[in-house]
Amino acid sequence: MEELQRIKRRGFITKSGLLAGSAALSLSSFDALGAFSADHRKRNTLNAGEKDALNRLGADQQALVNGEVVKLCILHTNDVHSRIEPFAMDGSKYQGLGGTARRAALIGKIRADEANVLLLDAGDIFQGTPYFNLYGGEIEMKLMTLMAYDGATMGNHDFDNGLEGFHKQLPHAKFPVICSNYDFSNTVLSKSTVPFKVFHKGGLKIGVFGVGIELKGIVDDKNYGDTVYIDPVSKANEMALLLKEELKCNLVICLSHLGYSYKNDKVSDKVLAAQTRNIDLIIGGHTHTFMDVPEDVMNLDGLVTTINQVGFAGINLGRVDYYFERYKGKHVNTGSPYLISNQV
Amino acid sequence: MPVQFYNPRRWFKQLSYLLLAVSLLCACSSGYKLVKSGRTDYSINKEIAADSAIIKTYLPYKAKMDAEMNRVIGQSAILMSKKSSDTLPESLLSNFFADAVIQQALKIDPAIDFAMPSTKGGLRVDLPKGDITVSNIFELMPFENQLIVFTLKGSDVQRLLDFIAASNGQPVAQLKMKISNKKPVDVWINGERFDVLKNYRVLTTDYISGGGDNTQGFENPVDKKMLDLKVRDALLNFVKEAGTAGKVICSKSDGRITKD
Repeated sequence: MEELQRIKRRGFITKSGLLAGSAALSLSSFDALGAFSADHRKRNTLNAGEKDALNRLGADQQALVNGEVVKLCILHTNDVHSRIEPFAMDGSKYQGLGGTARRAALIGKIRADEANVLLLDAGDIFQGTPYFNLYGGEIEMKLMTLMAYDGATMGNHDFDNGLEGFHKQLPHAKFPVICSNYDFSNTVLSKSTVPFKVFHKGGLKIGVFGVGIELKGIVDDKNYGDTVYIDPVSKANEMALLLKEELKCNLVICLSHLGYSYKNDKVSDKVLAAQTRNIDLIIGGHTHTFMDVPEDVMNLDGLVTTINQVGFAGINLGRVDYYFERYKGKHVNTGSPYLISNQV
Repeated sequence: MPVQFYNPRRWFKQLSYLLLAVSLLCACSSGYKLVKSGRTDYSINKEIAADSAIIKTYLPYKAKMDAEMNRVIGQSAILMSKKSSDTLPESLLSNFFADAVIQQALKIDPAIDFAMPSTKGGLRVDLPKGDITVSNIFELMPFENQLIVFTLKGSDVQRLLDFIAASNGQPVAQLKMKISNKKPVDVWINGERFDVLKNYRVLTTDYISGGGDNTQGFENPVDKKMLDLKVRDALLNFVKEAGTAGKVICSKSDGRITKD
């Protein structure tokens, strides 16, 4: 059983020195930009007040006048563990929370408001209620398909009925299963997963790959069979480089079932973030960690890699929005920091 | 129709195509710069109205599941209470639990010396007198713990025994001991006196062996063997087999753990 952790609220800006540079970019102008973008998408024209506001932006931000701001909304879950219905009202810690019907309604509402949404899951879809014991994951996959998940990676519990058991449920899953560091070549899943997936949203390219935990010792040998586990750090670096440099993705997301952090030197999301380049966001799982706010880690390039994880059982839905400014003309990547806010 | 040498509208159209082509060339991925990020999370609670399409999809599964969970699989002659299990060195519930699990495990691996398949805290609810349903067993053992047989050095078994004694007894089978001043004395394993120089094969779970509920002794095993049997399935099988055979389950306190 994974230990439930509660992470203390972190003041990320004060803590992350690397973000201090963003103070140079006036907060108020970006806020103006945010408000502008939502409106702009609808009308494609500026009113006098907006033009005025944009004219007041400094020379540095003049490009924005020519450019367009594209907003991307990432929604995510992890370790839902077959929690189809809310927790029973039985006095337990999470009574009355969660439930797929509510999650679907909330996702639908966000999709109605946002043009570019990606819905992702970081694994351990299976196991935890009798729904799994009786139906083997069929209903979990059907409901995720109804909610129009864009992709998911595999957690250790997704092997609980063996590779065959997972394979059997895939006809119900109309979304890609993204696994980069499990080599399934010699197994029944050889054609069932993809090492990465590039999504196109509002002109943006978003690259998603997935890393899973070492199965030996936590999953019965026969349940993972001839699956070959590949070191997640080197594989993540390889995937992220491919996605960002070769395939020119604007954003690279890692779905991870490694776990948020460990006391020993076992590879975790924190280790992964610090030892890699080109990953913007790690959507984590496995440790059932309720993070009050996402954590921003400095990666090997000195840039921000954000880690987020939303507990387990679908008690929470995570959301990370990214705003991109489009340059007309040649863009020089300055690697300058971007503004981060713990609200949407 | 007069020939138009200069059609400003057409010229403008061509120019816009040209501009579009140029802008498309430039609109490669490097044409976007990440400027801002905002994040939050949402609590999925009763404030959110449910999506009826989802409920409609899972309702037939739920109906069948509820029927299965309410299925009677066996009978118990007596109420086995969690409270007595929490407070006494041994109880009807802890003895039932450990005996049922070792009985099923012995079918897979007959060379198990003794068992501690849970801690007292791991026994979640009472088992009622009379009908036992599938749901009763799921509530008693909601976790997915797997059974493992550990081969331990006598010195590590001693640490496990010390833990059992210090914590006022735990669910055990094929183990007999007295607790004196929170220490184990007069220890018998599977009918033989405990010998600290011998290795023992101990049935437990992934959770307990990983130090769950502060259990001691499983950190450096000589060997370990997964049985591919979950604790819950062992309990379900035990009750079903008794039910099929027409036997009423009758747990007893037999003095396996006593206190001075």
